[in-house]
Amino acid sequence: MNSAENFLQNKQLAKQANNEPAPPSQEQAQPLQQLLTRPDIWQLASGHGRSRTGISTGYRGLDAMLTGHGWPRAASTELLIDKAGIGEMSLILPALAELTRQGQMVILVNPPLIPYAPALVQAGVQLEKLLVLHPRGQRDQLWAAEQSLQSGACGVLVQWQGKETPADKDLRRLQVAARDGDCLHVHFRPGSCVKTPSPAALRLQLKSDGEQLALHLFKQLNGKSGQRVHLARNPDLVRRDQPLH
Amino acid sequence: MLWLCIQLPKLPLEALTRAHRAGDSTPLAVAQSSLIIEANQAANSHNVEPGLSIATACAYCADLQLLERDAEREEQLLQQLAQWAYSFTPVVSPRSAEREHNQPDNHFACLYLEISGCLKAHHGLRPLLQQLGKELRKMRISHFMGLGHSPSAAHLLSQLPEHRQWLAETKHAPTPQQWRQWISFAPSKLLDCNHKAIAKLYASGIKRVSQLLAIPLSEVGSRFGRNFISYLAQLNGTRPDPVPSFEPPAEFHNELFFPSPLDNSEQLLFPAGRLIRELCRQLQRRQLYSQQLCWVLDYGSRGQQQLNVEVSRPLLDPQRLIALTKLQFERVELKEPVQALTLKCQQLQPIENQNLREDFFDEGSKLNESYQLIDKLKARLGHQALSGVTLKESYLPEQAWQNADSLTLQSKARSHHLTPVRAPRPNWLLPRPDRIQQRDHKLFYDGELHLLQGPERIDGYWWQHRRHARDYYIARGSHGSLYWVFQDLTSENWFLHGVYS
Repeated sequence: MNSAENFLQNKQLAKQANNEPAPPSQEQAQPLQQLLTRPDIWQLASGHGRSRTGISTGYRGLDAMLTGHGWPRAASTELLIDKAGIGEMSLILPALAELTRQGQMVILVNPPLIPYAPALVQAGVQLEKLLVLHPRGQRDQLWAAEQSLQSGACGVLVQWQGKETPADKDLRRLQVAARDGDCLHVHFRPGSCVKTPSPAALRLQLKSDGEQLALHLFKQLNGKSGQRVHLARNPDLVRRDQPLH
Repeated sequence: MLWLCIQLPKLPLEALTRAHRAGDSTPLAVAQSSLIIEANQAANSHNVEPGLSIATACAYCADLQLLERDAEREEQLLQQLAQWAYSFTPVVSPRSAEREHNQPDNHFACLYLEISGCLKAHHGLRPLLQQLGKELRKMRISHFMGLGHSPSAAHLLSQLPEHRQWLAETKHAPTPQQWRQWISFAPSKLLDCNHKAIAKLYASGIKRVSQLLAIPLSEVGSRFGRNFISYLAQLNGTRPDPVPSFEPPAEFHNELFFPSPLDNSEQLLFPAGRLIRELCRQLQRRQLYSQQLCWVLDYGSRGQQQLNVEVSRPLLDPQRLIALTKLQFERVELKEPVQALTLKCQQLQPIENQNLREDFFDEGSKLNESYQLIDKLKARLGHQALSGVTLKESYLPEQAWQNADSLTLQSKARSHHLTPVRAPRPNWLLPRPDRIQQRDHKLFYDGELHLLQGPERIDGYWWQHRRHARDYYIARGSHGSLYWVFQDLTSENWFLHGVYS
């Protein structure tokens, strides 16, 4: 969609240039300024000085890698994962906790297991702001996700892909809904979806290297991709006790 | 005291045809025991009139549609109208139609309203009467009114054309002399007594009420009985005239009946919107709200189906309620044509100040938006698809959490706060512990498991069903996943209970 918008805008610019053969220099500068303020145009030179526009992930190494220094606001983020239990929830929990503290609603759509309340409270999540949805069937799932994203009432929507793979146009609709509702959309999808293109603003592949969570950045809007980062698990969990005997 | 009597002459027809769209031009007639009781305008133009026999009426108009009279539905409609009138004045008394056998026009159903107390609120008599007339016309209820110092006088005068004409032009309530004039001027056939008594009156040459009043009461009493005398006294205002007072029911119940059944759920939206608007009007006037709208689709003899629409906040906006209802109706596949649609709201609760205050000042629109979202999700996905989670006080891991009703989602933190145990707990809990394979002192669950930490012993609850004694460990799987596993101390089997994701 972004490329299409770009194309349209370029076309308009070209038309303007044709219709007005000798525009004053000030007016010519304006479209350029407009173009530069567009979020989907990547400026390498000024990239360093940019302030945080995203929602902090809570991990400094990851923040540094992302253009907005955090999860991209009002956009879809895809986390590709094959094996549960490698720290995928711990990755997003700091952001969820921060948003619930700010009074925003967090919606989990179709979580694979029971979200365990004591662990969530330990992570700082306010349970009153947490809503768990179990829609039946693919259509209802997409409907519920789109409605929640659009409503503007919810801060984060975390969605787990069911058995069926959503079509490209559905993913696009979710991305647009997240943009309209200014909502962070986190979509957990199986690793097999890596090859298919997706409109998400950020795609991360999650794997375990045995000890740590290994992230591979596949795609990032307005930013570099291809980096890898390793995040250590909570030391309380991986501390190895001395064997009793 | 100022009593208004609203007579409802076409109630039998309107009770059956209210669900029709306006401008329907099929000739319709309501029949009871082979006589036409009431006919609509299209039928009237074919000379079909009350009192005709069915055979004659069919001869006048071949495509006449006949409906059986339904006294129960009439009574329901009358109760609804009483409820509507209740929004104007607290003193309302409905009176249902009495029909003697084979006597088509005797008494229409009517409503008595005591309006002296509410004149000020409605800026005088004339605006009040106009408002009443306007709303009745909007509901498509034909009516005529009469004003009197007692219910029986108002009833008598409502039938007097001169009085009705005066009422249409008046600005002030009449003086007692005017009333007395009208009553004495009224023909005696308008008296509210049985046909025999009226025939007797005419036989003795008493054509006007004035003639009757001129006769000494004792004389009248010996001829017409004690009841007649007390009726005359009530008419004069010398004796109190009590009428049963209407009490609004604690629940909303309204039904629309479709003479030609509907077989498409989209067609249901029009009558549903009408019921919802009526509900909202009523709730607003009585300052109540309902948490649940219960729709009943009646398939006639083939049973009925119930749909619930839940509303989490006091909501009196009909458009939103219609949108929620639409979400429900979209999911319904009609098994059979629907013959009647009912809207029930069983628990009406008063709107509290507190709720309203939150709306205006407390983080306002954001909270409202989330309630709207929850209502919408509930309407489409069903109640069971939504849940929240809360903590519970228990040592047993599977009992340390519980499903919360999503309605309590937005409520402020409660004074009593539970704190969870300070040991690392997994983010995901399995609905029931999964058995782990055990071979040669090694554990296998999707690869070999290595225990990292433990044991954390949880023991107790022997006073409940059975003893729960477990040693919990944190284990790492072959793919790097961290699991929460335990060994049951009584059976020495290993189980997977959670995932550190």
